[in-house]
Amino acid sequence: MAQKVMTIIKVQIPAGGATPGPPLGPALGQHGVNIMQFCKEYNGRTSSQVGDIVPVEITVYQDRSFSFITKTPPAAALLLKAAGIPKGAANPLTDRAGKVTKSQVREIAEKKMVDLNAFDVDQAMKMIEGTARSMGIRVEKK
Amino acid sequence: MSPPNSDPSDSIDPATNPAIDPSTDHAMDPAARARANARRADGSVGPLIEISVPAEGELVEPLYELFVRHGAGAAIETRLRDDVSGAPDAPETWVRTWIAADDADARTAIETGLWHLGRILPLPEATVRELAEANWAEAWKAHWTAQPVGPFLITPTWLDPESTDPDRLPLRLDPGTAFGTGQHPTTRLCLEAVAEAVAEAPNARVLDVGTGSGILAIGARLLGAREVLGVDIDPRAAETAAANAAANGVPFPTRAGSLDVVETEPPFDIVLANLLAPIVIELAPGMAARTRTGGLLIASGVLDTQVDEVTAALRTAGFGEAEVRSDGDWVAILTRKEPPGA
Repeated sequence: MAQKVMTIIKVQIPAGGATPGPPLGPALGQHGVNIMQFCKEYNGRTSSQVGDIVPVEITVYQDRSFSFITKTPPAAALLLKAAGIPKGAANPLTDRAGKVTKSQVREIAEKKMVDLNAFDVDQAMKMIEGTARSMGIRVEKK
Repeated sequence: MSPPNSDPSDSIDPATNPAIDPSTDHAMDPAARARANARRADGSVGPLIEISVPAEGELVEPLYELFVRHGAGAAIETRLRDDVSGAPDAPETWVRTWIAADDADARTAIETGLWHLGRILPLPEATVRELAEANWAEAWKAHWTAQPVGPFLITPTWLDPESTDPDRLPLRLDPGTAFGTGQHPTTRLCLEAVAEAVAEAPNARVLDVGTGSGILAIGARLLGAREVLGVDIDPRAAETAAANAAANGVPFPTRAGSLDVVETEPPFDIVLANLLAPIVIELAPGMAARTRTGGLLIASGVLDTQVDEVTAALRTAGFGEAEVRSDGDWVAILTRKEPPGA
C-alpha cells in the first residue's frame, strides 16, 4: 500500500557532509526521522560528488520512514566552482566577480539538463548564462 | 518582526547591506554553522533558535537564500498532512533556519534581511522559538520499536524488556545521535555477517572501526567474542557505544579516534568497518595492518556501484578474494587477509 506522505523537506547540503546538527537535525528530527540513518544514506549516495552542494528533497511518511531524491547542484554553485571564486558580485550591473568559458557553461548545462526546463543543451546554456550574468560572472565567447 | 535598529536607512543598496547581497553562493555561513553545532561540555548541542516564515511562490527562494547566508543552513518544509491526526491538510510551506541561541550577530543579520525583504514583498510574520536539542535529536525514538536482525532482537533501552522474542538474543540499544539502530541495510548485513563469523570462531578478538552506537561490537560480544574494542572518531559515539555495551552486560573498551588509537594493539581476528566507500578505501592499508593473517574484514557502507573500487583497494592493501552480500543497493564485503606476498 502506498505510504501516506506527511511532509516534504528540501535542503541543500555538501555532498558527503550530512551531519546530525543543524540544519538537518532540527529539520528532520522534529518530524521523527532517524537523523543518522538519513546521514548515512545521503553521504553514501553523494560520496562521489564531494566538493559540490547537492540539493535533496526528503519525503517523510506517516510511519516516519523517509525517501529522498538528490538534484543537480545549483547553477550558481557550479558557476562559482568553475570560475574559481567564493562568491558572486555584490552588484552584478557594475562589478565583475569572475569569468567562465563557453565550454564550462556547456558542461554545467549538460550536468543540470535533467533538472532544467529546457528542450536542448543550447537552451539550457542560455539559462546558465543568465544565472552567470546575475552573479557578475562574465561568459567568454570561446 | 520590527525594523532592526542596526540599519536605520530605508536603503536596499546591496553594496551597503550584506543581508541582501544578490550573489547566490549557496554556501552555509560556516561561522554561524559552527556556532550552532558547537558542543557543550556535556557533549550536547546548546539550545537553538528556530526562525520560520510561512511562504509561498516567489517568497520561498529569497527567504531560503537569506537563511542559508546567515543561519546554520535552512530548510524548506511543506507539510501535507496534519501531524497529530494524520488527516489531509491544506499544504503549508515554511522556510526555516536555525542559529545558536546566543548568536546575536546571526540573529541581527537575519532580522535585517527579513525587514528588507518585507519592503519588497508582503512578508508574513516570522515565528521565532527556542528549540532544545531534546526536541529534535530524540524525537524519532518515539517511532522506533523492537526489530529482529539475524539472531538478535534489537530493542530500544526505554522499552520494556518483556517485549523480547524468546527465540532471539535481546540487544538493547540507545544510539543517541550515533549511527546504528539495526534499521539500515548496512547494519543488518554486518550484524548477520559478524554473527556467523563469531559462531565459527567464538574466541575471536574483534575490532569495530566507526563503532557508532556499538551495535556490531555488542552483537559480537553477546555471541561470545573473547575481546572487543570499538573506536569512533566522534567521542560522543565512543561514549554511547560504551554505555550500550554496559547496558547489555558486556562492557568493553571504546576509544575516541581512528586507527591510530589501536596502533599498538596486536592484530585482530575480525575487523568490522561499516563506514562509507571512500573511508573504507582510505583506511584499507591501516585495517590490513590491524587484521591478523587469515583474519576477516567485514566492510560496509558501500553501494553496489562502488564495489569494484572498494574491493580493488582492499586487494591492494593485502586482502584476498571478496564475498559480496547485498540488501537493496547496499553491500557488505567479506574478505580475509592474505599471507604476506600472496
